[in-house]
Amino acid sequence: MNGNLSKLTSFHVTGIKPALEAEDAGERSFRPALFAGYGDLTKLRYDYPVVLVESAAGSKFAQSLSDIVDGILREIAPQGAAGERLRKHVLKLEEELRGLVSQKNGASLLDLWDAAEKSLLTRTEKAARDLLRDSLGRARNALHVDGEVLDCDEATPTRFITRGWNVVQAAKIHAVKKRIEHLVLKLSDILRADYMKTEEARSAEIFRASVGTAYDEAFDFSAMSGILAKERAGDLLPDSRRQRVQAALTILQAQRFHAPLHDFEQTVVRQPLYDFVFDSCAAALEAFRGRLPEMVEVIKAMSIAELEIQNLYRESRHEPFFERFDEGALGPDDLALFPSYLICLRGERIDPAEAGRIFELLNSDLPAKILVQTDDLLRNLSLSAGQTSSVGGLELGTMALGLNKAFVLQATNASLYKQREQIVNGLRRDGPALFSVFSGAMPRVAGVTPYLLAGAAEESRAFPVFAYDPAASPDWALRFRIDDNPQAEADWPVHRMMYEDRDFQGTSETVAFTFVDFALCDGRHGADRVPVARSDWHDDMIPVVEHLDLAEGHAPDKIPYVLMVDENDRLQRVVVDDKLIRAARRCGAMWHSLQELGGINNSHARQLLDREREVWEQEKGEQLAKLAKRAEPAGVASPAAAAPPPAAPVETTIEVEEAAAEAPSDEPYIETPRCTTCNECTELNSKLFAYDENMQAYIADPDAGPYRQLVEAAESCQVSIIHPGKPRNPNEPNLDELLERAAPFN
Amino acid sequence: MGIPVSECLLKLMAEGYTLDDYRGDIPPRWCTGCGDNGILAAVQRLCRDEQLPPERTVFVSGIGCSSRFPHYMNAYGFHGLHGRALPVAEGIKLRRPDLHVFVSTGDGDCCSIGAAHWIHAIRYNMDMTVLLHDNQIYGLTKKQASPTSPRGVKSNTTPRGTYLDPLNPLSVTLGVANVSFVAQAADWIPELLYDIISEAYHHKGFSFVRILQRCPEFMPHQFDPWVQNPDKMLLLTHEKGVQLSAGLSKVYRKQEAHDPGDLHRAREIASLSEQIPVGILYRDSDVPCYEDVRMVDRLHTPDVIKGVLEEEFDKFTIWPSE
Ligand SMILES: Cc1ncc(C[n+]2csc(CCOP(=O)(O)OP(=O)(O)O)c2C)c(N)n1
Ligand code: SF4
Ligand SMILES: [Mg+2]
Repeated sequence: MNGNLSKLTSFHVTGIKPALEAEDAGERSFRPALFAGYGDLTKLRYDYPVVLVESAAGSKFAQSLSDIVDGILREIAPQGAAGERLRKHVLKLEEELRGLVSQKNGASLLDLWDAAEKSLLTRTEKAARDLLRDSLGRARNALHVDGEVLDCDEATPTRFITRGWNVVQAAKIHAVKKRIEHLVLKLSDILRADYMKTEEARSAEIFRASVGTAYDEAFDFSAMSGILAKERAGDLLPDSRRQRVQAALTILQAQRFHAPLHDFEQTVVRQPLYDFVFDSCAAALEAFRGRLPEMVEVIKAMSIAELEIQNLYRESRHEPFFERFDEGALGPDDLALFPSYLICLRGERIDPAEAGRIFELLNSDLPAKILVQTDDLLRNLSLSAGQTSSVGGLELGTMALGLNKAFVLQATNASLYKQREQIVNGLRRDGPALFSVFSGAMPRVAGVTPYLLAGAAEESRAFPVFAYDPAASPDWALRFRIDDNPQAEADWPVHRMMYEDRDFQGTSETVAFTFVDFALCDGRHGADRVPVARSDWHDDMIPVVEHLDLAEGHAPDKIPYVLMVDENDRLQRVVVDDKLIRAARRCGAMWHSLQELGGINNSHARQLLDREREVWEQEKGEQLAKLAKRAEPAGVASPAAAAPPPAAPVETTIEVEEAAAEAPSDEPYIETPRCTTCNECTELNSKLFAYDENMQAYIADPDAGPYRQLVEAAESCQVSIIHPGKPRNPNEPNLDELLERAAPFN
Repeated sequence: MGIPVSECLLKLMAEGYTLDDYRGDIPPRWCTGCGDNGILAAVQRLCRDEQLPPERTVFVSGIGCSSRFPHYMNAYGFHGLHGRALPVAEGIKLRRPDLHVFVSTGDGDCCSIGAAHWIHAIRYNMDMTVLLHDNQIYGLTKKQASPTSPRGVKSNTTPRGTYLDPLNPLSVTLGVANVSFVAQAADWIPELLYDIISEAYHHKGFSFVRILQRCPEFMPHQFDPWVQNPDKMLLLTHEKGVQLSAGLSKVYRKQEAHDPGDLHRAREIASLSEQIPVGILYRDSDVPCYEDVRMVDRLHTPDVIKGVLEEEFDKFTIWPSE
């Protein structure tokens, strides 16, 4: 072992930096080797900038600039060579626009678009300008959206989620608002109809006012009033009902939860509407609790209004119910009628009390939508042994899974746009939701954009992406998703890296991106790494990913390194200390459990599969053995049974079997279900024949008329369903003849 | 969205209407033996069984014996103009989609003077239950031939008998775009009449039920061959249509299992001549209803109404100074 190598070994184990011979590493800036390809992001087309589109519904609230431009090109540029010029010009504009966004984050798309167009045109030579102007003009005409343009930075998660919340909120509450306005209108109608019956409403003054001054002289309003006053107008509402309707109306009009959809006659003064965006759980909870009594009043008023409008309110039954109706009676369906509470938090500032409240909310039915933004993901790495760390966004995400109740989305700035549907999903759910987002805007990381760092956090499993939606299904398989992570099946994602060697020959190598690569982006971990001069490269140095594959403490003589590039994009091996390796192992273990939850390499499933395979192989073996024993040629299955059945005839007339004739009864009777309500029999004798509760005839009293009437009714019944039976009075005249006439009906 | 509290309260409320609650103030003035009596009874039964609040139910009609229907129901009613029952019903449904709308119309009312409205009402497919009381004659005006009168019927307008084959209301309806529910019933099979009207009521869309209705006064014995010989009737049964009770199955032995989704077969059944089919010929629940398509997201608040009226009046206002 040469001198430097042993120094490196001791550095890896102890973390004490060696003074290396030959090359002075100094405090130089290194980036993970895989970053070398991503210098200036404004030259790349990716998810940012994102436009928060005005008046868009659902997940359309955010659209990436590239998607918008692609849409425009699809619309205006023909496929193939014919559209080439338009495509080139418009993509140039997109690039220009990207450059502007990084300077004017938050400006509107139309403003930026126009500015980009202008600067592009001024920079273009005169000869080419007209064509460019033409292309850009067409694109501008095809641009149908506008909205705030977001670049990827520290402010992005809050702005993105807040906009999503606003859009979902507006759509979700729209139906409720409509309902409330409908109730207000109908309640007003009830009061108005009642008013119209009063003497005041029929007074000469009211009539005069309704006609207006132009025809003041043309009518005799007192006479009109006199005539109408005489006409009975019907009863006025009882006082208690009028007061109840009025009270419900007042509550619905004065409530501060929903903005009115239309401005129409407000008879009550409304206080300013409630705010639903908070920056602490404590404040949100306090507001929620303070508003509870009013929420109860609104729900009560809505229910009373519903009943009153349908004329179903019964004081004796409903009064006691509504008197007892209080906060305890509010269920999730009631809560869903109110806006949800958006709480935006910073992971680094969550104290233990606030963490407790987060869990309290996530474990409740309350409509709390909590955004926890993490900027410094590696904060806990710099703690020394014995120090405890507070709970941040990363821990909250996985811990919330255990509550089994709240919607949880963990994502980074790099995947927010891809996760917009999930975001809308979580915002739409009635219950609580947690959005844990890593911004990538890490303090003390220079030279790497937040987007790249956020992406690196996903790649390195430092901040995996997952979504948990307990309402989606009773099974974990459909509730939990981790498939949006890069190479979700793998421990660490691997990439092919192309580079030139010392002789400028292009070569490539497969490189894994691990937690260590991510951690080394952070300047604070300069102490944990040592770049190694090529002259010191040695067989005992192995890539970190191989080191991580070895069981812990298994290869004390191997020194783990990662590939990094320096300021000049020169590839370096960088040896890291054991502290980082341990952190990477923890991160890998956490990733494995997420994989298992997400159904990848699930240990239960694997065990089950192994057992099943064993059983299957055993059975298969036995069958084979049996077959071999018989050693006879196996018979071929007969194909006869496989012939398709003949096509069914279109018309199938069913001949129902003749039922055994029932013995004729001596009692008169009617086949009531077949009665056509024709009134023939009931008009003959309404005591003998009557209608049942379905308006169909039956023999109400066989002694209420003579046998003759039974026979006549049987004869006049057009559907022949009256059966006269035998005469009850043997002394009735002409019985012989009547019996003969009755025979066909018995 | 639901307002759970009042929903449970509404259930708690069930007042319980009886058939009497649907009877109008005056007793029916139809002839003894008139099929309209049975249709009325079936509809009153339906209202009771569905517990339709009378104040949320409307019966609309045109002119004719059958069009007297609304008078005999205790509910809202509109005894309209000859042939114009459907436009009135459409107006009601458009403005008050919360009401249950029923239409009673005669063969003269619907297929003669009101034919244009009929065709378009099918196409509009608004949610209402339409009963065509088809006695194949103008009853109220004392016997004139109607479009559905069989060829050769002598009447006050056709003393030598009609010259043309009758119009078939079932085939016509089945031929119009957006048709969504077509059935045929006979007043002399009340059990099925009830079941069919009930299916029609439950169908969302324009449910058209042609009811063969006996008029003993002006078309006596017209349906006798079918009334007296159940084997001349063809009962359409299906799990998606109506099913027969054991008693009925015993009397009416000719049955066909007909899937109401089969438009082609429905058209064939509609044109049977000897047998009278009874049951549900066609049903498509996916046809959109005009009132839903045209639903405006605007409440008719007093201000809105006032604004619209002012706007209209302004178009005709003459300003003396100008
Ligand atoms: C515009 C107009 N034309 C003609 C009449 C006369 N009229 C009244 S009822 C009727 C026919 C009714 O026949 P139908 O609709 O079959 O009803 P039914 O009486 O048979 O039930 C006619 C033509 C009228 N009332 N109004
Ligand atoms: S004339 Fe005919 S349709 Fe009119 S009531 Fe009499 S039987 Fe019924
Ligand atoms: Mg008629």
